[in-house]
Amino acid sequence: MRNRLAPILNLVEHTGKLKPLTDRRPVASLPFACRYRLIDFPFSSLYNAEAVSAALFIAGSGHSLYDHIRSGSTWGLDSFAGGGVFTHSQVKLKSDQNVESKYDKFYYEDHYNYVTRSKAEYVVMMGSSFLSNIQLESVLHFHEDKNSQVTVVYKQVNREELVEDTVYTALNLNNGETDTVKGIEPVSGMASGTKLNVNMEMMLLSKKVFLDYLFRAKQHDMDISVNTFIQFTLDSNESVNAYEYTGYLRVIEDVKSYFDANMDMLDQDNFNALFYRADPVRTRAKNSAPTYYGEEAVIENAQFANDCEVYGTVRNSVIFRKVSIEKGSVIEDSIIMQDSCIEEDVTLKHVILDKHVYVMKGAKLEGTPDNPIVIAKNSVVYPEGITKEG
Amino acid sequence: MKTETVAMILAGGQGSRLGKLTKTIAKPAVPFGGNYRIIDFALSNCANSGFNHVGVVTQYQPLVLNTHVGNGSSWGLNRHNGGATILQPYSSVDGEKFFKGTAHAIYQNIDYIDQKNPDYVVILSGDHIYKMDYEKMLDYHKRKAASLTVGVMPVPWEETSRFGVMNTDRTDRIIEFQEKPENAKSNLASMGIYIFDWPRLKQYLVDNQSKNRQMEDFGHHVIPAYLRNSESIYAYSFEGYWKDVGTIESLWSANMEFLDPEHELNIRDRKWRVYSKNPNTTPQFLTETAKVSDSMITDGCYIAGEINHSVLSHNVKVGKGSVVTDSVIMPNVVIGENVRIEKAIIGEGAHIYDDAELIGTESDIAVAGYKEEVGGYSDEK
Repeated sequence: MRNRLAPILNLVEHTGKLKPLTDRRPVASLPFACRYRLIDFPFSSLYNAEAVSAALFIAGSGHSLYDHIRSGSTWGLDSFAGGGVFTHSQVKLKSDQNVESKYDKFYYEDHYNYVTRSKAEYVVMMGSSFLSNIQLESVLHFHEDKNSQVTVVYKQVNREELVEDTVYTALNLNNGETDTVKGIEPVSGMASGTKLNVNMEMMLLSKKVFLDYLFRAKQHDMDISVNTFIQFTLDSNESVNAYEYTGYLRVIEDVKSYFDANMDMLDQDNFNALFYRADPVRTRAKNSAPTYYGEEAVIENAQFANDCEVYGTVRNSVIFRKVSIEKGSVIEDSIIMQDSCIEEDVTLKHVILDKHVYVMKGAKLEGTPDNPIVIAKNSVVYPEGITKEG
Repeated sequence: MKTETVAMILAGGQGSRLGKLTKTIAKPAVPFGGNYRIIDFALSNCANSGFNHVGVVTQYQPLVLNTHVGNGSSWGLNRHNGGATILQPYSSVDGEKFFKGTAHAIYQNIDYIDQKNPDYVVILSGDHIYKMDYEKMLDYHKRKAASLTVGVMPVPWEETSRFGVMNTDRTDRIIEFQEKPENAKSNLASMGIYIFDWPRLKQYLVDNQSKNRQMEDFGHHVIPAYLRNSESIYAYSFEGYWKDVGTIESLWSANMEFLDPEHELNIRDRKWRVYSKNPNTTPQFLTETAKVSDSMITDGCYIAGEINHSVLSHNVKVGKGSVVTDSVIMPNVVIGENVRIEKAIIGEGAHIYDDAELIGTESDIAVAGYKEEVGGYSDEK
């Protein structure tokens, strides 16, 4: 297929309620489901739509993201023919340093340059907080069929599926032959039990419309975001067409929703919905040995990546690469990230161990489903319950 | 920078003693140890030894092998103008250039080696499971000012009749070569690893070819010719795990040995990694009904049954009530429900239907071939 999309990934996302997991990484770099990072999902959608390039706007240094993305070859973004991953980091620092306006002029220029230099006809704007597996080709067909000015993506969910004080919005729709957007409103004020159309902050629009909106945003010193552009469209009395997504969705907004998303994958229907469909999810290949399960290992409903050594008991848990679990240890309802080491006779329940955590013999940690304990990267956990940065 | 060394991996063999497993793929492409194919060991040795110009000579059923090797990027070989290059027989004005033997395969690819213009050529076999630092052997070759260095390893005396045996003097110079001898004078077996000074080897291959003398095989022709002409040939002793997985039984037992976490190969050693082409696949999913014990399992597997002392490659599905014991399951195999598999090798992409049984013994391992279907409905009459 010919490349038709110029993707812009806005990775300046809400990290506050995900700490300490986001202390040193953006939402897009959060590890997920044993061997992925959240960025793999939008990138795989791009791969499956045969996009050849992407522009990334990152709040901080982007170090962990660059380490994962490398040349972009995993997602076909390293082609000589128009390919490339165009990264723009420190967006937050640059805007904080700018005293006269919210954004410096390069913020707008960088968007402009990327879009005008791409040969694609359309711009697609997306982020990484809405964990899903979107078929961009279908969105594109919908957009062309409806002759849309802009198309936004939503999913119908129950109020309870988003966190109580969520920062995200719902779309108010005119239900006609095509769903069009009347307006957007915050979800946080809605009563529990409400069904709502969550705005997935993903938009498809022509290059021409994008550039037009870009100038308007620059004039008014506004964000280049899906919500700004919905407002611009409504203000011009044009219609915002809404595309309904019906696949797996989890909005990653706080530690609990992150925890739940991982636990969701232990349910086969969710797992299949996200991973076993025509369009595969791709992640950076890493060299690894198979996982070894010892003679006394007991495993019930759990997922593992390669390169682990397991001698203990693991139930309802998600285990990343290169984790060792010694005998006598019991891991339940937990997420253990890459390179962590669990010595003998350890008990973990409702715990998230970030990367490279060392748990000493006999230690015991128990969180609750609503409030899992998070152990920061490189910590050492002692039986006395003391943890410190290693 | 000048290319000092070109490695040539001979990967054209059929491995006919592997029967059904190599009916449609070459032996070096046969999966091994869950995550690997046999050739990964030679390719990783090249990468770890700093040899990144690697010619992979293929001939028999090369599709899977060629796809696997690609440009060598999985082994990090595609840097600094190097990489893996697949060398297949081709036709020319001189006729078709199918390879008649190990040395003939090098003769037919003189152009590739000359393009790199190296001082040394390392000849390797793509059939063996081992970790070896070829650079140390090259240093030895230079120190001895050898024209040819042969990698050897001591084998039990009673097995010498299966190997090419090197008889050496006290300085490790090879003075006699016996191919599969009844009465061996030495127990140093050739590993099929040779380091040649390239200009000299080329001269032998070209001159003899032009005189219509047979120079097709290293063991039968080249080494005896070198010996007759008093070339300096040295033996380089290798001590470590080395296994030729040429038969069903040896392939099975090598996999079973590989399961041992204390195995000499130390597959988790970060300093000498064994690389492979890693498939893009999902995590391993072990359901509530799964039981695994003393086993290796690879990404993409879905396990609802019981796995004992077995090696499972990527994307293997094992249904509820099925029991897999002492077996090797290759990639993309589907095992239905209530299946019993014991002392067996299940070939890549095979499908074992519900209630089927595949039970072997240590001396007669049960085998399902590449994409073979076992069980299912019996033929209606």
